[in-house]
Amino acid sequence: MTAADVRLPQGPPTTPTEPVRRRGPSPMRRRENAAAYILITPFVVVFALFIVVPLVYSGYLSLFRDQLVGGTTFVALDNYTRALTDSSFLTGVGRMAIFLLIQVPIMLGLALVFALLLDSGVLYLQRFVRLGIFIPYAVPSVIAALMWGYLYGPDFGPAAQIAKNLHISAPPFLSQNWMLGSIMNIVSWEFIGYNMIILYAALRSIPSELFDAAAVDGAGRVRTAWSIKIPAIRPAIILTAIFSVIGSFQLFNEPNLLRTIAPNVIGIDYTPNMYAYNLAFINRDSNYAAAIAFILGVVIMVVSYSVQLSTQRKERAAR
Amino acid sequence: MSRTKITWRRQAMGLTAGMAVAALALTACSGGGSGDKATGPAAAISQADIDKAMTTPTKLTFWTWVPDIENEVKLFEAAYPAITVDVVNVGQGADHYKKMRSALQAGKGAPDVAQIEFQHVQSFALGDNLLDLTPYIPASTSADYVPWVWKQVLSTDGSKIWSIPQDSGPMGGLYRDDILKAHNIAVPTTWDEFATAAKTLHAADPNVYLTNMPGNDMGQFTAMLWQAGARPFGWDGDKQVTINVTSPEATKVAQYWQDLIQAGDVSVDPDFTDTWYQGLANGKYAGWAPTAAWAPVFLQGTAANTSGLWRAANIPQWDASGSPVSANWGGSSDAVMKSTQNPIAAAQLALWINHDPASTLMLANTQFLFPTTNATLTSKEFSDLAPEFYGGQKVNQVFADISKTVPEDFSWLPFMDYAYSAGQESVGKAIADKGDIVGALKAWQDALTTYAKQQGFTVK
Amino acid sequence: MTTQTAAGGPTRTGSPLDRPSPPRQRSRRSRAYSSDRPRRSIVLTVVMCAVLLYFLIPLWWLLVASTKSNANLFSTFGLWFSSTNSLWVNIQTVFTSDNGVYLLWLRNSLVYSVTSAVGSAFLATMAGYAFAKYRFPGGNAIFSGILGAIMIPMTALTIPTYLLFANAGLTNTPWAVILPSLASPFGVYLMRVYAADSVDDTLIEAARVDGAGELRIFFTVALRLLSPGLVTVLLFALVSTWNNYFLPLIMLNSPDLYPLTVGLAQWQATAAGGSGSRALFSSIITGSFLSIIPLVIAFLFLQRYWQSGLASGAVKG
Repeated sequence: MTAADVRLPQGPPTTPTEPVRRRGPSPMRRRENAAAYILITPFVVVFALFIVVPLVYSGYLSLFRDQLVGGTTFVALDNYTRALTDSSFLTGVGRMAIFLLIQVPIMLGLALVFALLLDSGVLYLQRFVRLGIFIPYAVPSVIAALMWGYLYGPDFGPAAQIAKNLHISAPPFLSQNWMLGSIMNIVSWEFIGYNMIILYAALRSIPSELFDAAAVDGAGRVRTAWSIKIPAIRPAIILTAIFSVIGSFQLFNEPNLLRTIAPNVIGIDYTPNMYAYNLAFINRDSNYAAAIAFILGVVIMVVSYSVQLSTQRKERAAR
Repeated sequence: MSRTKITWRRQAMGLTAGMAVAALALTACSGGGSGDKATGPAAAISQADIDKAMTTPTKLTFWTWVPDIENEVKLFEAAYPAITVDVVNVGQGADHYKKMRSALQAGKGAPDVAQIEFQHVQSFALGDNLLDLTPYIPASTSADYVPWVWKQVLSTDGSKIWSIPQDSGPMGGLYRDDILKAHNIAVPTTWDEFATAAKTLHAADPNVYLTNMPGNDMGQFTAMLWQAGARPFGWDGDKQVTINVTSPEATKVAQYWQDLIQAGDVSVDPDFTDTWYQGLANGKYAGWAPTAAWAPVFLQGTAANTSGLWRAANIPQWDASGSPVSANWGGSSDAVMKSTQNPIAAAQLALWINHDPASTLMLANTQFLFPTTNATLTSKEFSDLAPEFYGGQKVNQVFADISKTVPEDFSWLPFMDYAYSAGQESVGKAIADKGDIVGALKAWQDALTTYAKQQGFTVK
Repeated sequence: MTTQTAAGGPTRTGSPLDRPSPPRQRSRRSRAYSSDRPRRSIVLTVVMCAVLLYFLIPLWWLLVASTKSNANLFSTFGLWFSSTNSLWVNIQTVFTSDNGVYLLWLRNSLVYSVTSAVGSAFLATMAGYAFAKYRFPGGNAIFSGILGAIMIPMTALTIPTYLLFANAGLTNTPWAVILPSLASPFGVYLMRVYAADSVDDTLIEAARVDGAGELRIFFTVALRLLSPGLVTVLLFALVSTWNNYFLPLIMLNSPDLYPLTVGLAQWQATAAGGSGSRALFSSIITGSFLSIIPLVIAFLFLQRYWQSGLASGAVKG
């Protein structure tokens, strides 16, 4: 069963993809509802057990304080007010905001350029290039961080070795000022290919009618890309942008592993997610960690929504 | 991996035997939540009860990260064929404690016996997680251990025994004989000499440092405070903690290293990283000082190419006129969790591994854990070793002598994991950034005080 | 606690993402200007090969480093082989240290990721189809809830999930890793869009007229049409579970149950540990190198699925 073999019957195009509906709960309707419930139940059960229940429990925990001496007390929203004045948390969120504003546009920009190049068929070795850029996605972030950690090495990393032979000094990748950029690089290396594939797939599915006008106009490739292709795959771009926002606010693995080689550059509160983790396991303050994680969730939602809304506004303005 | 349940047969046996065992078997079966096993000075368990428990088929879980400890466990299992021990390495240091705390918090899945470093014993005692071993081990046991080490595993008032010492890390120094000789530098005996040596050496060869001072090892830093006479931590066993990391003695240590670091005479690479390993192997560091008694062997594994060039020495002294003072960096013990279903067998395992002459000698000579029993420290098989790596020097003897100079009166906070983490964020960062280490002590003090109050302690 | 590394799903407020769209022709072979054969450009190809170097050099380094002994790892040039080839010795060390635990890790990674991927893909397909094709009470509310949940950082759920699992006696069992990975909200979202697009209502109606029950329609008619999308979701889930680190790190205690990621990270931690640790650098690197081979091979073989599954509707407006 391969994708390419799937043939859709050439029926008349139905406009909205909604089943024909009847008024009132007919037996038919009831049967359909029952079927729908049966189909979603397995997922909903798993979802409820492993996402909703822990989430509710976490929310419950965040309303308490459990001290090492003195036990557990109900403190209502104390943990939340504490978080909003906690410089460790706020700095972490700020750092992630910087990360997001720099890394996400670069990553998505490159992914888009590569996808457009592949789509326009101007390259030799198409498949090889596509696969090569995509391969890093197969490398677990744990291993990616470990690898780049070696490559960044100040004494015996390849960059340092090359620089030594040229009698210049390599940039101190793992120093205070360079670290965030170094992490951005690792994350980009891992995910450019992944985003490229999504955008490339979207480009491949642009209906050919859209190009007819361009062909008549005799528009060049670049102009076609700019004025037809990119608008056509806007939803896919938004999708990748939102994934990236969520991903970068939840950054954990890469800094946590780099911490072993740069323990004083990456503190326990380097990213909000690391901070929550360390609060829970080192400070033994799971309640506060739960509150931090909740606020972080809200921040992610707000940012994701604003990404969506801003693009929608642009779209409306464009019309 | 569910723990072996006490069988009905065993219960029946327990009930027909003495009252103590009956009580134990029952509390074990009822989950023993009330902890009545450990309230007050419990009556000692009789040898008959121990014999009975040790011949009853039992499965114990033992969490430890000591490499190849399976070998000692095999000896134990040979001595007690009824007992099988499942050795699990759940991670090292911080990871191990995270897992332990999670399991203890959940009330399920905790081990029977677990490795706990000296500085963390009190934090598990605070959670009421540990079994008081007093009734389970012979009263004479304490005399078999180095006194300062034994003190590390007692409750703050000295009335309870929380764990059995396994290894220790009296502090000395290791130096590259060849490099020092090439520059006509004598092994420093005082910190003043050490500073001069560091300056001289680095001036003579800018690629070499007398030692490296890592910003990620608060264990080492705390041990230096210990040696300098600072007593930064304390706990009364209840709600009151003492925090004093800004004392004159602590400030003296911070100022000393700040001067060396800011002058560039000492490197500040994080330790136990690949960069640091290379520094030891390629002569970037002409010494590793202060270091601990477990280091000599550690070095043999990581810097094999420098064999024959290293020598061990006493730790430099602050006061040249007095008798030498050292301190301890690192070292572990094995504790029994209160939640265990088999307290007798678990206590015997913790004791036997770290007390039996064959087992302790094996730990010392094959896994290179620096011993804590007087018998092993003075045994010929241990102290007469003269490794090639150290040019035939009897390094174990050097550190055994140092072990006698560790002051006994050093206590910990019941939250050392946080204390070290906060120390690394303040003092450690100042070291790494070659910044104001003395000022960082204040930041550390504030962080610890704030945290202690948040957690409901009163701070003295 | 989803295992999507950088994947979530957009929230649903009339986003352009779920505007119903008419079925489209899948193939773009008939593009207006595909007839004029795009001129291939040597210059652009050279530029892209330079870009490719950036993506492949780290992997090249990993391959080269796998052939070096511990000492050579630090003393020879990182991007070229040293005079002695220690690859076989390293591989032997990897497979034999700690009584061959590496093989167990490999097996665990496979078991966890395949089970989770197959399970989550099926659950997501069933649910996605239902959300796309049926209008039922509460459907929209549930769907919005599913999408919203993605925003919650995993750490928020880690500790509570751990506590809940511990009470159920599930920690330190394979289930602790597999079960939370079964819920893939992003998969549901993808399948919903995909089903709306690729399963024609007329087909469903025709099957109803033939008297087929709703579930039978799903299993006989729809599932076949949905399979490219299902495979895509399956692949995403496979990669994310294979690469997952955080969840197994928290949930598992026994090294025998670790997946590769946690196992290798623990070796790394051991090397960086204090007393009594062993410097396993060459084993860690060789182990890492070996561990990415299966996924790379899978990528080579399954490439087209990524594209077709995504292309036919999942990412279009």
